[in-house]
Amino acid sequence: MKHTLPLLAALLAPLTPLFAEGAPFRPEPGKFPPLEKAHSYRGELTFVDHTNRRGSIRIQGNGKFRFTGPSPFAMLPYGMVRYHGAPADLRDIPLGTVMYVHAFLPPDPKISSVPVLPIDNRLKKLGNTGIGTAPAENHVLLLEDETSHCRRHGLVWKLKQVTLNDHAGFITARRELKAGGGQAHEETLTFDAATRFWRGRERLDVQDLIAEKIWPANGKKSLENQTVLLGIIWKPTPGGVFMRFHVSDVWLNDAAMERAAQNQTETHKAFIKSRWMPGWVDAVEYGKFGNATVTATLFGGMDASLYADFKKGQKAMLASAENTLKHWASGTAGTSQMASKGILANITKAKGNVPFGSSGTQISLKTDLVTEGFRPGRIVRIHPNSWPIVEVPRDEYLHDARTTHEDRFPTPDIFPKY
Amino acid sequence: MNRIQSVIGFAALCLGAVLLSVPVSAEEKPFRPIAGQFPPLEKAHAYRGELVFVDHTNRRGSLRIQSEGTYFRNAPHPFAMLPYGVIRYHGAPAGLRDIPIGTVLHARGFLPPDPKLSSVPVLPVNNRNKTAGYSGKGIAPAENHLILLEDEPSFCQREGKVWKLQEVELQNFAGKIVARREPKIGGTKAEEETLTFDAATRIWRGREKLEVADLIADGIWPASGKKALKNQAVLLGITWKPTPSNIFTRFHISDIWLDEVAMQRAARNQTETHKAFIRTRWMPGWIDTVEYGKFGTATITATLFGGMDESLYADFKKGAHAQMNAVESNLKHTHGAYSPAHMASKGPILEVTKIIGEIPLGSSGIQIDFKTDLIIEGIRPGRNIRVRPSHWPNVNIPREEYLGGNKPEERFPTPAIFPKY
Repeated sequence: MKHTLPLLAALLAPLTPLFAEGAPFRPEPGKFPPLEKAHSYRGELTFVDHTNRRGSIRIQGNGKFRFTGPSPFAMLPYGMVRYHGAPADLRDIPLGTVMYVHAFLPPDPKISSVPVLPIDNRLKKLGNTGIGTAPAENHVLLLEDETSHCRRHGLVWKLKQVTLNDHAGFITARRELKAGGGQAHEETLTFDAATRFWRGRERLDVQDLIAEKIWPANGKKSLENQTVLLGIIWKPTPGGVFMRFHVSDVWLNDAAMERAAQNQTETHKAFIKSRWMPGWVDAVEYGKFGNATVTATLFGGMDASLYADFKKGQKAMLASAENTLKHWASGTAGTSQMASKGILANITKAKGNVPFGSSGTQISLKTDLVTEGFRPGRIVRIHPNSWPIVEVPRDEYLHDARTTHEDRFPTPDIFPKY
Repeated sequence: MNRIQSVIGFAALCLGAVLLSVPVSAEEKPFRPIAGQFPPLEKAHAYRGELVFVDHTNRRGSLRIQSEGTYFRNAPHPFAMLPYGVIRYHGAPAGLRDIPIGTVLHARGFLPPDPKLSSVPVLPVNNRNKTAGYSGKGIAPAENHLILLEDEPSFCQREGKVWKLQEVELQNFAGKIVARREPKIGGTKAEEETLTFDAATRIWRGREKLEVADLIADGIWPASGKKALKNQAVLLGITWKPTPSNIFTRFHISDIWLDEVAMQRAARNQTETHKAFIRTRWMPGWIDTVEYGKFGTATITATLFGGMDESLYADFKKGAHAQMNAVESNLKHTHGAYSPAHMASKGPILEVTKIIGEIPLGSSGIQIDFKTDLIIEGIRPGRNIRVRPSHWPNVNIPREEYLGGNKPEERFPTPAIFPKY
């Protein structure tokens, strides 16, 4: 008996960090989960199924990165993607980009579009890949690239030294608070002749920096804490180095970064205007003969100008959507033909702290023909009258006469097992 | 009488069926690429469409193919790159991973060389002549094994064409451009096409990346209204976005290269990206012959696949040391987690031969003779290999780019991942 208790304690020890906080946390319908309860990790985007808002990431663990099989993830309906410090869709992010992730357990494992893993998976050592490379927390609230992460946290990269030979080499740098202070450790990153340097309007490469004598053609140069933002990817590294990231982009000044953010913002604005603003239904007040007033919260993370397009008294359309944010359509009838139409009876803005995932903006739409799918907690897409009416492509809607259960709830079968 | 009518009716039905399949059967027996021979480009079926899905590690994906019908209804059509299939982006060699989703690409495809092993759906041979509802004809050709996949600037540069801008009409940083894709020098006048652009369209001038707002600020374009562009010659990057006003097929301009310097800089950047990629994944090719010696020695003759930057081929030198590894049709390395370099056959390059005359697309026209003292399984005539001159970096590739064992599904991916619409 005296040997059993220490053994039991040893077996349970790895589970302690998960269960110390009580029962495992899962997001609930109709509630935006607090960001601080999310599990965070980062890794390389290796696969994208953008129409189902899912993909795979090779997660950085404490082992050998190249052995790590891509780990599938799904965006929560209100999950936000950010690229170059601006709102984005998964389709905007190049494969290979290193992303930061804040994620939760599947809200409803039965309909998860990615594999459902044991709750303690993030604590398991998976061979050479180490610990943490396949967490069960694969339903993502926030997915952001390096520049977005840095800008959200007020961080910059301070460059120490460059070593180069034949237009490629290493940079040593520290990611620190822009204003100074905080903890940082030095990191070595690779770059090559394909690394892009952004300076105001200009796109340069290593050759240009050498031609302008900013960097030497060969050898080392101290960069004296030059403040930049970096785009980070991963490439296989020689010399038996298993974990070293690669610099895809260097933004040399604020103007260059602002221009990149502006371009991505415009890309995403056009995307949302054609696919409609996502949100969920808070309440439905039924009237007579199909009349109803539907109150919905708009999801967050978009450009402010998009929310400003929702104006009291204006006409709007409301369509039910799936957790993947896919629309419904039918035969020749497109999304707008299928949607409920009405007047925006009210727009309210939440005061105080708005949780991640929410815009804090609630709209009430009064319609004379409420359609199926508008139920509290369910996902909708909303189109204010000033946005263009277009038809979304075939892979972005469900066909009401042909759609199967698997189309509505994509299964994880698409993901290879390694 | 009724019986006669039935027979006539049946005969008419048969004739109809035959007529429907005439365009394919008129070209004799359907052409399929044969192992060990690069198929002639002129036998390929050509189409273009928007890249909507990518499974880059298996060198396959889906395109929404342009046809005569309502474009938005066209379901994504799966394609697989042939092992020697060439991908070009911004006028430079590329991998599927380099091409943004949404890019409109020009494809040249063949029937599956071996339908049993196809990683994408195998369709009836005459599928390209079938009409699919509102989508029209040609949105799902059986010729889904590609020898060439290239974006608009690559296509234009290969064919010596440019876009000649006629007129811009804009309002609130977005609008339409009327343009013609024509031979750069001379040639016949092409038909005018209307394309959209918006505030996210990138405009490249020398080193600069501009936006519509910059062109307006510089007084080059008006803030609103129309302006004649007087045949301004540019290259365009083309995507597709849903178009309002019931216009079902209108393409969108993602990029405009205003001058040759800008285009050359884009090509150089893509070339460097791809060079680094091939140096770490090794040069693909196939085996022409194997001459077996004693105790595992062999001399292997292999043809390197084409479409790469010249500097990569120049790295193959007579007398240099090299490594050769067997790969699958999707160019994945075999032999598991030990890493390609650990498992590969090693030895010197005895000879590098350049084929004289016309080189078929897919081939580099370069043959190497490689001698090894330990030949590994998979190095057989007609099979695919990857070769590494020893001065290329010795790295370990990521998990999804090599086979972890001998599971048939991993060696021969099935089309099961593609949704049916």
